[in-house]
Amino acid sequence: MSLWVDMYRPRALDDLHYHQGLSARLKSLAASGDFPHMLFYGPSGAGKKTRITCTLRQLFGPGVEKLKIDQRVFLSPSKRKIEVNIVQSNFHIEITPSEAGNYDRVVIQELLKEIAQTQQVDLNAKQRFKVVIINEADSLSRDAQAALRRTMEKYMSNMRIILCANSTSRLIAPIKSRCLLMRVAAPDNTEMQTVLTHVSRRAGFDLPPDAAQEIIQDSGGNLRKAILVLEALKMQSPDLSGPLTIAKPDWETYCQKVANLIVTEQTPARVMEIRTKFYELLSHCIPPTVILKTVAEAVVSQVDETLKAEIMHWAAFYEVRMRIGSKKIYHLEAWVVKVMSLYKQSFYQFDISEFE
Amino acid sequence: MPPKLTQSSRPSSFNPKPPRKAKASKATTVKLDAAPLNLQRINPLTAFSNTPPSATADATRKASQPSQKSKGKEKEACTSTPVDRSDDCLWVDIYEPTTEAELAVHVKKVQDVRRWLDEALVGGSGGKLRKYRRILALTGPAGTAKTATIRVLAREMDCEILEWRNAIGETSLNRFGDDPQSYDPDHESLISKFEAFMTRASTCKNLFAGAQAPEKNAKSTPLSSSSSSSSSRSSPRKRQILLLEDLPNILHTSTQARFHAALQALVAAPSASPVPIVVIVSDAGMRGEASDERLASGAWGKDRDGVLDIRTVLPKDLLYGPYVTQIGFNPIAPTLMKKALQSLITTHFSSKPSGSAPSKETLDIIIETSNGDIRSAIMALQFSCVVVASGAKTRKKQSGSSAKVVLAAITRREQSLELFHLIGRVLYNKRKGDPPNPSATAKDIQKDKELDATLKDPPKLPSFLADHARRTSRVNVDSLYANSPIDSSLFSLYIHQNYTQYCNETEECEGVAEWLSWIDSSGGEAWYQANPHRFHLLTLGTLHSLPTPVPRRSQKVFKPEFFDFLTKEKDAWDAVRDVRGWIAEDAVLKEANSWRLGGWSRAEVATELGGVLKARDAKQTRAKAPASHRLFTNMPFVSGGEHRGLRQLGEGETSSDTVDILEDDGGPRGGWSELADMQSGGWLENDDIEEF
Repeated sequence: MSLWVDMYRPRALDDLHYHQGLSARLKSLAASGDFPHMLFYGPSGAGKKTRITCTLRQLFGPGVEKLKIDQRVFLSPSKRKIEVNIVQSNFHIEITPSEAGNYDRVVIQELLKEIAQTQQVDLNAKQRFKVVIINEADSLSRDAQAALRRTMEKYMSNMRIILCANSTSRLIAPIKSRCLLMRVAAPDNTEMQTVLTHVSRRAGFDLPPDAAQEIIQDSGGNLRKAILVLEALKMQSPDLSGPLTIAKPDWETYCQKVANLIVTEQTPARVMEIRTKFYELLSHCIPPTVILKTVAEAVVSQVDETLKAEIMHWAAFYEVRMRIGSKKIYHLEAWVVKVMSLYKQSFYQFDISEFE
Repeated sequence: MPPKLTQSSRPSSFNPKPPRKAKASKATTVKLDAAPLNLQRINPLTAFSNTPPSATADATRKASQPSQKSKGKEKEACTSTPVDRSDDCLWVDIYEPTTEAELAVHVKKVQDVRRWLDEALVGGSGGKLRKYRRILALTGPAGTAKTATIRVLAREMDCEILEWRNAIGETSLNRFGDDPQSYDPDHESLISKFEAFMTRASTCKNLFAGAQAPEKNAKSTPLSSSSSSSSSRSSPRKRQILLLEDLPNILHTSTQARFHAALQALVAAPSASPVPIVVIVSDAGMRGEASDERLASGAWGKDRDGVLDIRTVLPKDLLYGPYVTQIGFNPIAPTLMKKALQSLITTHFSSKPSGSAPSKETLDIIIETSNGDIRSAIMALQFSCVVVASGAKTRKKQSGSSAKVVLAAITRREQSLELFHLIGRVLYNKRKGDPPNPSATAKDIQKDKELDATLKDPPKLPSFLADHARRTSRVNVDSLYANSPIDSSLFSLYIHQNYTQYCNETEECEGVAEWLSWIDSSGGEAWYQANPHRFHLLTLGTLHSLPTPVPRRSQKVFKPEFFDFLTKEKDAWDAVRDVRGWIAEDAVLKEANSWRLGGWSRAEVATELGGVLKARDAKQTRAKAPASHRLFTNMPFVSGGEHRGLRQLGEGETSSDTVDILEDDGGPRGGWSELADMQSGGWLENDDIEEF
């Protein structure tokens, strides 16, 4: 039983429901015969990967949908074995280098070299090149990016690279300049409404507009999340009528409660308590940046107007540190303590001004 | 015991034969290359001295016994009338303890070991425990009478100790011989010899148990020819203990694997009367220096290289399994040590009236400086006696302090600061002029005063920096760093775990948290960019931020939870991978959809799939996701109860139990690579990071 997200995914550029301009451009690019390296970026759940796969289909035809999974083993310089799952068709190959952790450079180099050195033998193939899709490109290490940069120029004749990233800020400039940047923006509410209706129709039921609105409000522009929520809701109450309670993932409610803890008390003991909560979140695989963002948003919604900017400033500040540092918990906690003392200070100032 | 046995073992200075033998071989044999085989290594200091050749075999045997069977271990007690040459011999060897009463170990520890041995050999009270008493691991700092305890108990319980000894320099003979091409089919590596030794020792019964030494020697010939000697004791019964102290080079990975396999095979082998194995591992006392040291030396090295502890010696499943019992020895308590040293002095000077016993102060200094290492204490004692005896009588009235300096120089151990004290020293943030602790003794107060007198007051700060004015700290950061048993990254985890208890206000917390955060990120992404001053910065920063004086409210030092949660996180990532695999599998089954295979990134699975998976679980009809998904989707919020799983740090504990997980940090970690690393299932090891 597949998830709806996967089942009802559009498969051709013409089937896409929004960003028609983008689709048209991709179509003409695919037809032009001069297909560049590309970098798709945009928020998660906006449809980047869908557009990539649709473009591939446009380029190579339906043959590109015949996929197989390979498990490849690479050897790191210190003879450590790295296992990476690789999805490939005859025309393209898809890798998530962050699976290889710190050895992503090795994996990238080996794979690209291998692909670049094999020519397309199928004379009926529409294109002479193979496509390499690199998912989560923004998690590529600097070394891997540097390795990529040279390869991109060298093997242009029989290979194209499509990068997929949430933001371009973590990609080095040489890579960005070698790619055609494709921004895939999050869909707006009406676009999401269309997609949700479409999905529910294909799943064989009618979606009440109220429910759709509620789901859209909750998803914050993340279409994947919206469809997942829709599926979960449909499972919980098949008729989708009446007041809906959108079941948030546990970690979101958890973050909300952590924010409450921050606002209600500012003592060293509370810092300790919150730390345990953070550890708990981290050990449930919630990315630390996501934790910071969610908690910060929840805190901001509860505090005085004057503090909001500052809290967000410090959240950004400690997020940068988190990226550089190795122990995420330090930075999360440093932010919490910062917010606590800010909050406390404003509280006392307020009190004093009132007395005066 | 005939001298033959001593020949095959290490040379003994008591054997009167070597000089004569050496001469004989030179005089009579022309073939020179045959000579080294017969030639014994001789001690140039004693070999040609005028030893009475008529020394009775009895005296020789008795005196040489200790040096033969132990490599100069532990406290010794006088077993026989010391021969005249005892001046040349270490007291540690001469006065080995022979009875339980003479052991300077705490009675309870000895009881523990005795009970274990009893259960292993006989089966204890119920007789059922024997199955599980297969391996006893004795751990503890050096010089805490681990080996002595086993020897004494073995003697008292009347069993035979089979001990493995490593051969030295044998393997290289073949390789660098005349003909490099020659292949010696008989050559076996040290570890295969060890394996053979283990099988023989565990399965073969001593045929000649009742008979005396010659036969026994014959039995151990194959072993001693591979230069492992089984130091057999005459015992009428067949009970044996396998003692592993001199281990093969288990820091070499494949050797370690084979060593583990040998142990596991031994334990797994069903046997009616298994031979209990005693493994003795001294704590290396090394700090888990992950990156600092590497920074200094620029060398590539795994963190765990050189750390020989019980975790590397025994495989994990065995160590935490039912077959292994671990008994940790603590440093010898001063009172016990004093008693032991005094009795040693009495025995020594009663048998040998010449010379004078060291003064009481000297004894105290020795005990104080030895840090619970009785071997080093006895060494120091002997040294001080030698100094007193040979030195001029006028120097007898030495001032205590200079004697202390001398003794400190010879006995001081490198690592003297314990983790517990290190953390306490930093977090209590004592400054000049602090009121003394109510529980402090007069001596402590005096010490503090002396220390304060040496500290200079800081210059007065300008008014705009008045916030930062602090009294001079009593903490000497440099000496802390020099004596720290842990590296700066682990140190920061300990500080992080505990600082909140020592703060009064959030502002103080803010200072420490900010320092922790800054120090963690002050380096670059790669390990070689890491800040080399982390330890100092963190200590100074923490001291600066904490209140002074820190209020005492019975704070407890806890171990960092970091590693527990890291393991949990790793499990959860495994679950994420399972779920991803499940989605992909689903897609493969439905051919039409198979093109979304790599579509789910791990972060997406972890953050967004929770709702659907839960709904599916509730439904219970459709194809289920792997149940492990609850590891990351299910997060009940428990308020309060923040001290649930905290483990308190004990006073005597070392960092060793955290060190082995430490390898995860210090590597280049940018952004998500940590997660990725988890995903790939392997821990990052520093030597795997290639240099550019």
